Amino acid sequence: MLTFAEELILLLHDEDGGLLPIQKDAFDCALAGAVLMDLAFAGRIDTDPRALLVTDPAPTGDAVQDRVLARIAGGAEAGDTRLWIGTLSADEAPAMREQVLAGLAQRGIVARRGGWWPFRSQRRRSGGRVAPETVLRLRNALCSDDIPDPRDVALISLLDACDILLDIYPGREIARRRPRIAQLRKMDPIGREVAGAILNIQRSVALALRARSARLRRLLLLFSTGGALAAATTLLAPRIPIADSFGPTLFERLWFDAVWKQWSGYMLLGFSIAGLAAGLLPRLRALARRGGHNGWRLAHAVLGLCCLLLLFAHTGFRLGSDIEAALMGAYVVMLLCGALAGIAVNGASQLRRLGIGARMRAVPIRLHIAALCPLPALVIVHVLIVYLY
Amino acid sequence: MSRKRVFWFLCLAGTPLAVALVAVLMFVGGDRRVLMVGAIGDAHHQIGMACESCHAAPIFASRATAIEAMNETCRNCHEDELRAAADSHDGKLFRGPRMAVYREKLDVRLCTSCHVEHRPELTRAGAVTVALDFCIACHSEGDQDVRQARPSHAGLDFASCASAGCHNFHDNRALYQDFLIAHAGRPWLAPDPVHKLSARYRSRQIAGVVLAPGDAVAPAAALADAAALDHWAASGHAAAGVNCAGCHAPDAAPDAALAEIEALWVTAPESGVCAGCHRPQMESFARGRHGMRWHPQLAAPRDPNRRLEAIGLGGVVPQSVAAWLADSPLPAHMTAAEARLPMHADGGLLDCGTCHLPHAVDTGRAVVEACLTCHDDSHSRAYTGSVHHALWLAEQAGEAPPGSGVSCATCHMAKSERDGEIVTDHNQNDTLRPNEKAIRPVCLDCHGLGFALDALADGDLIARNFQGRPTVRVESISWALRHAAQAGR
Repeated sequence: MLTFAEELILLLHDEDGGLLPIQKDAFDCALAGAVLMDLAFAGRIDTDPRALLVTDPAPTGDAVQDRVLARIAGGAEAGDTRLWIGTLSADEAPAMREQVLAGLAQRGIVARRGGWWPFRSQRRRSGGRVAPETVLRLRNALCSDDIPDPRDVALISLLDACDILLDIYPGREIARRRPRIAQLRKMDPIGREVAGAILNIQRSVALALRARSARLRRLLLLFSTGGALAAATTLLAPRIPIADSFGPTLFERLWFDAVWKQWSGYMLLGFSIAGLAAGLLPRLRALARRGGHNGWRLAHAVLGLCCLLLLFAHTGFRLGSDIEAALMGAYVVMLLCGALAGIAVNGASQLRRLGIGARMRAVPIRLHIAALCPLPALVIVHVLIVYLY
Repeated sequence: MSRKRVFWFLCLAGTPLAVALVAVLMFVGGDRRVLMVGAIGDAHHQIGMACESCHAAPIFASRATAIEAMNETCRNCHEDELRAAADSHDGKLFRGPRMAVYREKLDVRLCTSCHVEHRPELTRAGAVTVALDFCIACHSEGDQDVRQARPSHAGLDFASCASAGCHNFHDNRALYQDFLIAHAGRPWLAPDPVHKLSARYRSRQIAGVVLAPGDAVAPAAALADAAALDHWAASGHAAAGVNCAGCHAPDAAPDAALAEIEALWVTAPESGVCAGCHRPQMESFARGRHGMRWHPQLAAPRDPNRRLEAIGLGGVVPQSVAAWLADSPLPAHMTAAEARLPMHADGGLLDCGTCHLPHAVDTGRAVVEACLTCHDDSHSRAYTGSVHHALWLAEQAGEAPPGSGVSCATCHMAKSERDGEIVTDHNQNDTLRPNEKAIRPVCLDCHGLGFALDALADGDLIARNFQGRPTVRVESISWALRHAAQAGR
């Protein structure tokens, strides 16, 4: 039987050994939680709200679990479950992943090739996607109304606590099963003591994850709010008048000199393409695992802000008329909706408290993408007009 | 297909489709208003959609070529008036290497250095798109520093050079020093205030066979219009021996028989017929705001077939599609509704017959009533009841000598003498913008130069149509006299 950690690793890697495009923090916390859940199921640890206790320091025979158990039993660092999740995910996650993969390779479940871990077994064609057995098993648990295996319930709950369940099952099928997921998370099929520990671990995983990404979220929220204000200003502010005296000022050069406008225009185009790439590339798995989602999101937000600054340099709040106005309108709305989407994602908890639901929060994301649609054509036309006339 | 796929399909398919549509507008034909990057100024707005009139460079020409081609188009239309004005900043004066230092600051060889279209925000009076203190570029240092050369100018703001009635960039015919000195000390009103060319024009004898109503040769149906016949008989046309066929059957021989005239009869002749005899008037009409759409230098609508051939699609696109792609020609006539000055709502289109009623060629009507039929700005409204209007009424009533009345056209369609013939300049802009252009051909016949300068610099007085005395004092003459005295002249 596979351990939670092994099943998690199999779930979160594709057949080429690549990590699915999920947040690195989520992966690390989920792995730490899975190992602790393995230890809890093996009766080696117990938890309460204030502490994580070793109940039996005897080795389990699993290298990863024993390594973690030894560290906890060593007692150098005392703390509650959340602290341990944070410590293990920060210090041990890469080593644990390597060890788990090595163990899987030793049993012939995966094969190492070069620096990667191409999977070679436990996979089955399913709707065009190569899926490990575990994926299919959890899907059945989620999509049926049967009482599932307790370990599956625990694994599903862990994945949901880390908010990566929908990364593994990106379609609508599982997204629509939210009531079933909630039902599974409330189940207590394991036994009160273990269930308490597992629940505690899962909660701690979620809290640790939230704590680790809080700084980034705050940063993104700050950028998004700044971006939204800047975009709204661009739309609503009157154009900045130019000095009524001879001799071009910096702003007059920026906004009316053909050469300067070309520079600012092409820089704006370059930054826009880079921002688009930063938004789209994380969807490519090969790239997602390099920078992680967080890096790309941060880059996307920063580039969006840069675009607004460059737009100001290019136009001075002069949004033009006719086709120029259409271009500027679509562009600024795209940026504004992008910034609002950033607020919706990174300020979700605050918005939830204000009664703004997930459906409302999804609106700016959709508008952000919709406003993007006409931009390539409008930009090409804009460039053509400039050079033709 | 999922909504996401539909979205991406629309994006991917829509982009080239939209670009292709716009490329067709740009390179082949069609309504290009949507491509306009900024409103066109008052000077050219009525010909705005004849893009190639100004954008004459080949497609994707270099910036230098495009600028040169555009400036060439400016000269095509405006060179004559600049030459007539003895342009004070003629581009030829700035060609040599000695002038490079000035060209660097403001290249006055290029019209587009100061006049750029599609920049409504920057466009000031006179279609100028540089700040009004632009003189500072060249006249603020070295031997061109006017503050050093003219102590009287020491404390003046450069923005006032061209706005205070003292200097114009191009036309200084009534503002140069010797002229100011020569006209110094003249009274505000001449003892015999008569506009001489108007006087000669209105008292001229038209040579030729004077025709009477019975001499009219026209189809019977046309002759049945007694009112038209009476109007014609009282008109200059009848006085000059121009029979009905002169306008209604211009292609008929001068001594054509009625049958031929009937065969070639045109009930409502186009304005082009007028040009057959009134060419100078028609030419100046096409240079002004009223008839700019008839200017011969305007670009014709693009021929989609030629355009398609140029991009290698000749014969590929069906004729019906090519015809559909053709540019809409500019409307034949300017209309009052399109004007940017305040106009009466019922003002119509502008051709010869708008002001000169087709049969009653009454220039008296054409020079006042016709103008006020459309124009509804404060200056026009204040004309009725003004001193100028009273003088006009007196002249029309025979109570004052010819040329003593001042109609709208006296100032805005000044008369000039060419080869002994007095011609009315139908380009009203020749005495406007800047308004000092009116001083020599119009004002000085009746008024002293000092008064004229003051009056034309007083915007409120202009709005009141010169009812009252100027409250603005232009110092040019006194400074010119002082400067001449200091120089021992």
